[in-house]
Amino acid sequence: MEQKRKWKLSDLWELLRNGFSAIITGNLLLRLNAGKYFNHIAYTFVLFWILIFESLMAENALGKIEKNNAKIKEMEIVYADKTFKVASMSRRSEVEKRLAELGSTVKEPEQQAITIE
Amino acid sequence: MRLPQQSTKSRDRIGLVLYIFYVLMLVLAALVLVKLVYFQIIWKPDPKIAGALTPSIVKRTIEPVRGNIIDCNGRLLAMSYPVYDIHMDCTVMKAEFGKMKNKDKGRQREEEWMRKARALAEGLAELNPSVNADKLYTQIKEGRSSGRKYLPIVKGVDRTTMLKIKSLPLYNEGANRGGMIVETRNVRKYPYGRLARRTIGFVRDNKGLPEEEIKGNPGLEGRYDAILHGKDGREYLKQTDRGRVRNYDSSYVRAVDGKDLRTTLNIDYQDVADRALHDQIDTLDDIEGACLVLMEVKTGAIRAMVNLSRDPNRGGAFEEITNFAIGRRCEPGSVFKTVTLLSVLSDGYYKSLDETIPTNHGIVKNTKMRQDVHILDWEREHKTKEISLLDGFKISSNYVYGALAVENYAKNPRQYVEKVYSYGLGDTFDFDLEGLLTPLVPNPSDKAVWSNTTLGTMGFGYSTEETPLHILTFYNAIANKGKMVKPYLVEDIEKAGNVTDRRGPSVLNASICSRAIADTMTRALLSVTEDGTARYSMRGVKCKVAGKTGTSFGTFPGGGYSDASGRRLYRGTFVGYFPAEDPRYTAISVVYSNPTRKSYQGGGIPARAIKTLVNYVYTNDPEFRSKIEKKSK
Repeated sequence: MEQKRKWKLSDLWELLRNGFSAIITGNLLLRLNAGKYFNHIAYTFVLFWILIFESLMAENALGKIEKNNAKIKEMEIVYADKTFKVASMSRRSEVEKRLAELGSTVKEPEQQAITIE
Repeated sequence: MRLPQQSTKSRDRIGLVLYIFYVLMLVLAALVLVKLVYFQIIWKPDPKIAGALTPSIVKRTIEPVRGNIIDCNGRLLAMSYPVYDIHMDCTVMKAEFGKMKNKDKGRQREEEWMRKARALAEGLAELNPSVNADKLYTQIKEGRSSGRKYLPIVKGVDRTTMLKIKSLPLYNEGANRGGMIVETRNVRKYPYGRLARRTIGFVRDNKGLPEEEIKGNPGLEGRYDAILHGKDGREYLKQTDRGRVRNYDSSYVRAVDGKDLRTTLNIDYQDVADRALHDQIDTLDDIEGACLVLMEVKTGAIRAMVNLSRDPNRGGAFEEITNFAIGRRCEPGSVFKTVTLLSVLSDGYYKSLDETIPTNHGIVKNTKMRQDVHILDWEREHKTKEISLLDGFKISSNYVYGALAVENYAKNPRQYVEKVYSYGLGDTFDFDLEGLLTPLVPNPSDKAVWSNTTLGTMGFGYSTEETPLHILTFYNAIANKGKMVKPYLVEDIEKAGNVTDRRGPSVLNASICSRAIADTMTRALLSVTEDGTARYSMRGVKCKVAGKTGTSFGTFPGGGYSDASGRRLYRGTFVGYFPAEDPRYTAISVVYSNPTRKSYQGGGIPARAIKTLVNYVYTNDPEFRSKIEKKSK
């Protein structure tokens, strides 16, 4: 019965040497017989690429959201500003004052409105 | 099959090129790997640079938008309004100018920057009179030399002003060159100014009121602060190349905006009531204040609530400072005679207003009450020793109503007091504003407060203390044919226009009297405005008003109704409802005087103010439009 081979330091050195020469000659993956896993390697690469790309896209989208939020806030401010001004001007006594300033003869009604039924 | 010689050579050349490219990439990868190991293990960055470049995550509280307060027609009474605080980074471009190789050019640029800063200060002074141009320029100059990065320029300006400021020299160059820092915050604004201020309340912003401040803030803003405020949110922000964005890896709590409060107030009626009262009291130096409340008969919805008192910060001008309508309790005076009349009619002691009692020279039998000398005039003018309930009511005779109370309830005064309670004039109720006082009604069992004269004086409106709102609620019940509804100010609570919590009317007492007695009371009250104490003030009113005047005197510290020099504290009241035939609104107005020798009766200022309001409402309210029918062909 054949005895199991024992590992020596020289074997390790041989492995490193062969590995290095394989890297230099570009045969590493072929020597490792990794060709059959090429699809998986390519798929993993694509997955990582998508992950990085999506992350950048998400950050980009968040930046846009912040910009749009700022725009919406600005519009809300404009709306609130105009609403306040319109509401302030709608005060009855304010309307009367403005009409008087403009020389208008329009006044509060002195009689009830009549509804025709 | 063998490939041609030419092709093999060409393939070898391509292979060589690829091989060289491969080796180059390999070397590059090795270099990257080495550098990576170096950065990770050996290299230590400058802590300052590392701090600046490391994305920091900051927590931000998201402030909810405070809910609006709107009137019954949807008009805004209180809203959140954004304002801008403008600051300045005084150090911008200073270092750049200093580093310029051409020192003269750098100095010129610096001088030009300072010239623009001077123009900016002058422009700001023109836009905002509170800004002193010289002082501001000096501050900017000092700030630039001392490296101040956050100098306050103006606070709380609106958008229009902010845009004008943005166009001023220096600021028109942007934040990096001009140093403009703009910050936005929401403040509370009231489009109708101080109109109904005491009813609506007042807050500066939506920071959330502490408990003690809510108690001290009797307006709707304070009472409904939790609903109006909403709920704070929370988010974490991270710094990226595209600015500060929300960190989606951290927790996020959305802010819940406050709900809107739809009130029963009609801001047009409020404005008219406010002006009507101002017109009556603005020129009178010895008036302490006045109030006027308008309420819808069927529902109890308060359409206007004016409370004017002197504002020491505005030179003593009348402003909405104190809520007299709910927070001032005093002896009601003759408006309480209606309680006595209603009691004797309801208890069946009298069947008709035309029944008479003896005048007895104005002396109420079996009491130590003072003689009512006015009844002597009646005896003399009408040559009679009798007076009807209606005439006594019309001339507002203290004797008649004191005598009615004593003669009918002396044996069982508790019966009269229970009547007062059944009319809602002895208890408080849950009102939409904090601070509604409980009336003071003496207890016949309490000998310390109940004397020989208490019942008689209660009969014409003394010995008790009532708030104007209690008196109004009672009169409104008569107008509503005996059904007493609770006064209220909040119609419903809304979110984005949808009702989330409906409040609305509620009943305090389904029937304080029969419809027939309510009609009899209306007849009595109508006689006051047509032939009685309010006839002059109500002259020219556009519809029939059923009402009652009342005048009482406040007490001085010693307990007397006048001071040493004979001055009195007048409390004049007019309360009534209109149109008398089919009442839609009830109104009360009370005027409070400082110690004075002049007379401020309920038939004066309060009645005139209410007449103005009645005329306006009767002309403008769609309820009162007259109708003509189209003839059919």
